[in-house]
Amino acid sequence: MRLRFRRRPLAAGAATLLALLTAACGHGMPDHTDAELRGQGEITGDIRFSWWGSASRNAVTNEVADIFEEQFPGTHVEREAADFGNYFKRLNVQGAGRNMPCVTQLQARTLGDFTVRDTLLPLDPMIESGAIDVSHIPEAVLDTGRGPDGKLYMLPTGAAYDSLMVNETLADEAGVALPRPGYDWDDYLAFLRDADAALPDDIAPTALRGGLPNFFIAYVQGLGGTMFDGNRLGFSKDLLTEYWQMWQDMAGEGLTNSPAANSEEPTSPEASYVAQGDVLSDNRPGNALTPAQGTLDGTGTGERLTTLPLPSGPAGSGNVLITSGMSIPRNCENVPTAAAFIDFWANDERSGDLYASANGAVTNTELLQRQLDDPEQPDLKRQELTLYQQIVADDPPIVLYPPGYMAVFESAFTRAYEDIAFGSASVPEAVDAFFEEANAGLAA
Amino acid sequence: MKENNAGGRSGGTGTPTRPEPPRTLSKGRRARGDNRAAYAFLTPWLIGMLVFTIGPMLFSLYLAFTRYDLSSSPEWIGLDNFRRMFTTDPRFFSSVDVTLTYVLWSVPLLLAVSLGLAMVLNRGLRFLTGYRALFYMPSLIGGSVAVAALWRQIFGEEGIVNKALGSIGIDHGSWIGDPGSALYTIVILQVWTFGSAMVIFLAGLRQIPQELYDAAAVDGAGPVRRFRSVTLPTLSPLIFFNLLLSVVNAFQAFTGAYVVSNGTGGPSDSTMFYTLYLYEQGFAQLNMGYAAAMAWVLVLGLAIFAGLLMFSTRYWVHYGDER
Amino acid sequence: MTTTVRAARRPRRPLFGSRPTRSPLLRALAKHSVMIILLVLMLYPLLWMFGASFRPDNKVFTTLGLFTGDFTTDNYTQGWSGGDQLNFSRFFLNSLTLTVLCIIGNLVSCSLTAYAFARLDFRFKKVLFALVIATLLLPYHVTLVPQYIMFNQLGWVNTLLPLVVPKILATDAFFIFLMVQFIRALPRSLDDAARIDGCGHWGIFRRVIVPLSVPALGTTALFTFINTWNDFLGPMLYLTEPDTWTVSQGLASFLDATGQSSYGSLFAMSTLSLVPVLGFFIAAQKLLVEGIATSGLK
Repeated sequence: MRLRFRRRPLAAGAATLLALLTAACGHGMPDHTDAELRGQGEITGDIRFSWWGSASRNAVTNEVADIFEEQFPGTHVEREAADFGNYFKRLNVQGAGRNMPCVTQLQARTLGDFTVRDTLLPLDPMIESGAIDVSHIPEAVLDTGRGPDGKLYMLPTGAAYDSLMVNETLADEAGVALPRPGYDWDDYLAFLRDADAALPDDIAPTALRGGLPNFFIAYVQGLGGTMFDGNRLGFSKDLLTEYWQMWQDMAGEGLTNSPAANSEEPTSPEASYVAQGDVLSDNRPGNALTPAQGTLDGTGTGERLTTLPLPSGPAGSGNVLITSGMSIPRNCENVPTAAAFIDFWANDERSGDLYASANGAVTNTELLQRQLDDPEQPDLKRQELTLYQQIVADDPPIVLYPPGYMAVFESAFTRAYEDIAFGSASVPEAVDAFFEEANAGLAA
Repeated sequence: MKENNAGGRSGGTGTPTRPEPPRTLSKGRRARGDNRAAYAFLTPWLIGMLVFTIGPMLFSLYLAFTRYDLSSSPEWIGLDNFRRMFTTDPRFFSSVDVTLTYVLWSVPLLLAVSLGLAMVLNRGLRFLTGYRALFYMPSLIGGSVAVAALWRQIFGEEGIVNKALGSIGIDHGSWIGDPGSALYTIVILQVWTFGSAMVIFLAGLRQIPQELYDAAAVDGAGPVRRFRSVTLPTLSPLIFFNLLLSVVNAFQAFTGAYVVSNGTGGPSDSTMFYTLYLYEQGFAQLNMGYAAAMAWVLVLGLAIFAGLLMFSTRYWVHYGDER
Repeated sequence: MTTTVRAARRPRRPLFGSRPTRSPLLRALAKHSVMIILLVLMLYPLLWMFGASFRPDNKVFTTLGLFTGDFTTDNYTQGWSGGDQLNFSRFFLNSLTLTVLCIIGNLVSCSLTAYAFARLDFRFKKVLFALVIATLLLPYHVTLVPQYIMFNQLGWVNTLLPLVVPKILATDAFFIFLMVQFIRALPRSLDDAARIDGCGHWGIFRRVIVPLSVPALGTTALFTFINTWNDFLGPMLYLTEPDTWTVSQGLASFLDATGQSSYGSLFAMSTLSLVPVLGFFIAAQKLLVEGIATSGLK
């Protein structure tokens, strides 16, 4: 008797809690009116805004949000920030709690994770109504923010791209000419071989990048191939085998640094080998030029870095844009203000000048021109922006990244190549294992 | 109380015997009185337990049998998660392997280092307070983002270890970047932050009455003998505590590997610990159901391990209040 | 205290026999040299970080040595102020508030719980204590998502409540277990004496157990301090606004794979962030090791 008396509240309490938690997951979302879906309504009240970045980007982001609040009295922007890696993990948990910020910064590569779960509002109605002006954003850039259904779920505000970063000074000293514009993969290899013959022994012509997904994307796009076919890999096993074999041959020839050195390399551009003069060249984001040169300056050797587009293939340039931008989640209760904020971010001159392409080149062509025309713009930053213009002018291919791209595809790709590089798997074995893991993971 | 304790513990041989406390109240009377008082003392804990632990645990137990991506409702799939774990997921087994290797290396090393230094830093040396604080310092920074950079300065290709080896003619590549050695750099990171275990040992060593050592010394026991017959038995509850704790911590090791490998568990999954893989499945790949299933397998595995440890205590742990 | 022990023991040394006699000065010197060599080896990473924090940002990684000719305090001034809204005085204050609340929560709730388990006989004691052990073994990943959903429903996100309330409700099984172990090692005769003097359970707890458990309480406070001060995941999930960031989040904000990182500031602020914990350690270790309770026991 007594025993039951003691136990019952415990069990009942647990059951209630379980029910509460399960119910919490099905928590309803605000019903938006048609006007709200078009981004129309009073621009006032609070919105939450989240982005990723380090201290310096946080500072300029804060300034832009401050001017928005000044421009629209009665609005208040609550800011949330984290570094890139932790940002997306937190966003996943926020998504679970239907608690995403009204204006959420996303990257095109992660967009699929959110569209597949229908967590975002399409922005097209807000563009049609004029709430968000996209007239100065090139079509090819805008399209990177579209979901599989063709609707725009992210307004791209900054565009990054990968480049071949080369230590010009070392190349000069070795007497090798930089690859000429429009160079292809064979020219790239020839460049590395020439450099290898002339460089000092402790400087490798390139970092070992067989496991870098972006480089492979450029290779596939340059061949006119497709990366993804819906939720499956769109390229053949043969193509990947050929690509990884190429890297293994390069490593065998001594054109690369060691796999162990490569896997301990920190992710931030300042600490990369190319920024320390330890390798001649590397595939690096174009906007890493300024920070990387900063480190190289610190070595006191006076060496200079420059950036080139990635090698082209038979089908032309494979340089894709890696855009980031702003999205509005379905759980947002203040859509008009969120839309106004995005519009302000994408079009306001003061915002463009202040932010100064702190996360990829600004996508609004007029704002970009202002930055290029600015006489005080540092040369390196100018070069980052010019190369971006050049890549956009080439009408870069657009990749529709499936959900799970970063978590499944990128991690499996890097790991499979590491298995090859460290000799624990042959190229065909690693390709098979990668295909199985990626296709299973992306379909899930 | 001084006489009582010293007399009770340091019998003639230097081996402690347990004090026999006087029993002033009958067992029955005390037990009845205790119930109400005990639950009064336990109220905060009981509430916290129900709300923050048992509730969420039951929920995650339920999730273990579902497919759940955090947004749509969980979908019941029975034992599929467990089936996948034990039949078709090679990364699961590799993470178990990595974790067990880590436990087997880091736990004994950590206990030996922390007990050894605690004994040295217990008494008999000047500036003890300063030394203790300095030896504790690594533990204060163990999980910080700065550690990744620091560890590269030591075990990286250009690190100080390789510089030292180079000066005696040994050429070695990166220790962090090589799948064969990366795990052991994290073992060293764990052992480096031995401060907490050391503090617990220090506090325990301080509670061993000097009389016990004196008595043992009078009996002609040398330092080794005194360590074996006085220090070890008297300290056994704390050794057990530290052992259990470091086993649990090692099984749940996360931060070190996460920081040093920048969250990837690389190179080549060589530092992909169980919890790191669990975290990746849950928070990166959004397989919350699978992650919950993995968490429960870990709980069961740990329960068995801890059960064995607890069972073993009757053979080697001596509590002061045992009757 | 140490010296009196040594002095008292010295005359007995010949009893130990076999050891060759040496000058105590030489022995002390040898001991200290061994300790210092050990310390330098162990602290090299921290010393290097300290040195690097005074180098210009782009020369941070240029040497394995501790100090170079370049000397600048820019990393400290820039790291401290960052931007107008993001500065470390704020982060330090946030961390301190959080830490103090967590320490109080843990001390009160865990000692109450531990007293019951260590000293009282009650129904389901074994079952409930097994629960304590079970929670000790519980990976926090198990409860992370359900807890987040719950706190979100309660509207507690972006407040300190999700980080503090669990401490007030004794969810840290580690400390309960620690204190149970300590209290069990205290002689029962003390309780009985207090009981004869007319103390109830509350009286015994307050007048006997708490004063005697100062080492355990100090240990709990110290570990809570370190854990809370260094905790990253909790604040990252629940304190999203930069205004509410703790030091660990501030430190993480110096590094980002997609933009400008500043290792110099990271090392400078990491060095500073060690100061409060180290200070607390030095203060608390008096409690731990030289405490009243311990001497009272002897």
